[in-house]
Amino acid sequence: MAITLAQGIALAIMAIIVGVDFWLEALFIFRPIIVCTLTGIILGNVPLGLMAGGLTELAFAGLTPAGGTQPPNPVLAGVMTTVIAYTTGKDPATAIGLALPFSFLMQYIILFYYSSFSLFMKRADKYAEEADGKSLLKLNILTTGIVAVSYGIVVFLCAYVAQDAMQALVKAMPEWLTHGFEIAGGILPAVGFGMLLKVMLKGEFVPYLIIGFVIASFIPFSNLLPVAVVGMAMALIVFNSERNKRKTAFVTGVASNVEGDDGNEGI
Amino acid sequence: MKASDKNTAPEKVLTKKDITKLGWRSSLLQASFNYERMQSGGFLLAQMGCLKKIYKDDKKGLSEAMTDNLEFINTHPNLVGFLMGLLISLEEAKENRSTIKGLKVALFAPLAGIGDAIFWFTLLPIVAGITASMAMSGSILGPLLFFAVYLTIFILRLAWTHAGYNLGLKAVDTLREYSGIISKVATILGVTVIGGLIASYVHISLLPEIVINSSKTVSIQKDFLDKIFPNILPFGYTLLMYFFLRKKKMSPVVLIAATFGLAILLSFLGIL
Repeated sequence: MAITLAQGIALAIMAIIVGVDFWLEALFIFRPIIVCTLTGIILGNVPLGLMAGGLTELAFAGLTPAGGTQPPNPVLAGVMTTVIAYTTGKDPATAIGLALPFSFLMQYIILFYYSSFSLFMKRADKYAEEADGKSLLKLNILTTGIVAVSYGIVVFLCAYVAQDAMQALVKAMPEWLTHGFEIAGGILPAVGFGMLLKVMLKGEFVPYLIIGFVIASFIPFSNLLPVAVVGMAMALIVFNSERNKRKTAFVTGVASNVEGDDGNEGI
Repeated sequence: MKASDKNTAPEKVLTKKDITKLGWRSSLLQASFNYERMQSGGFLLAQMGCLKKIYKDDKKGLSEAMTDNLEFINTHPNLVGFLMGLLISLEEAKENRSTIKGLKVALFAPLAGIGDAIFWFTLLPIVAGITASMAMSGSILGPLLFFAVYLTIFILRLAWTHAGYNLGLKAVDTLREYSGIISKVATILGVTVIGGLIASYVHISLLPEIVINSSKTVSIQKDFLDKIFPNILPFGYTLLMYFFLRKKKMSPVVLIAATFGLAILLSFLGIL
């Protein structure tokens, strides 16, 4: 099905709102589960939006901007997965793969802004010296505005203007290629989870990873809450023992050292 | 300016309402994010209302405070209100500039660590895992629940800001004492959930079957791998990604591209 001009404009406005939310990391309406649902509503196909939202959210679960690294853009991934599934009739799992180039495109645009906005800081220094709050506000509005407009333009071009070319491209693909995209969509979360583990997994935490994996592999359930509850229980055990250890360390520290400073490596 | 120079303690000029406003405005933290100073532009902007009220006509004092707050900072958007509340309480008390600056520098990184551990690495996988499965079964409750959780977290920013302001200096020792334990405990919860996520959401299934005779075939996936250990391929592939990311310092973009290439190749060969 084709996307109308009105839908294209509505998508662009939606992208501006959720794009600014991603820039500020405020309400988290930039996550694919929300973006896809909103796209589905705009296109008049809510079930498709929900399906695409669930799949894309999981594929992007580990791709977070934590620590200042910019992940493939979740807004464009959400919008384009839903749009491609809608216009080409492909399965959303296949569409995730086809949407990725758009996600990378927006990621690089944001990275470009991260670098170029550094140039504004000299001006900000001047405003601070002159105690000029108004100009500082204007500067922040300008930077956020540039980002907002970029989201609107990119989504309008990708979702509305380029849809015919996209459709033709997808139709020309052989079966093994689209099946490959579908499979890749299923494996993709592994990269995201690998990213999470890169930051979190130290040797001492390996047992918890194994416990979580084994529970989920052998106990069938519809969501991850039981695993989270088990994790919570183990976290509490460690919290209690660490706190007790610290109390003991503190007592020993005071006994051996009247100054009682940091008490690091107490025993 | 030292506190001892003054005969009277500086008066309290900020109301509860001002602190609530500060909490809302803390959301502007990344408004002018850039690689040189990271969040400093928004960090200062959020505090401008309070700073103006504190320094009134003291243009020199305001200028100094603004310059200090424009220095490099990179912390967590959800928790930065706590830091802002704390620093503003010190600004209001006309503490030493170097004390305020020192505290800011000492706290922003631990706060970022706690925030990333809790919000990105623990809460998001759990909430996303649960609500995504609801969405995929066609329930609008999935995204609604997701939104409700994050709206609550957003509004909690006001609570952190008030907590920071009220606790003042007292809070700092507690926070530093517990930041290690909090991060560790959140990591345990997060890593457990990631183990579960790998089993539930990474799908790799081999197609080939070995023909033994005309009536019996053996599926490599169902009759062989699943009998050894279910989900062993997803677990193995995730660990392989971890290995490339951590030990080989490869970029996730390269790994995503490689995953696609591999999936398409194996699809072409009829293996996946």
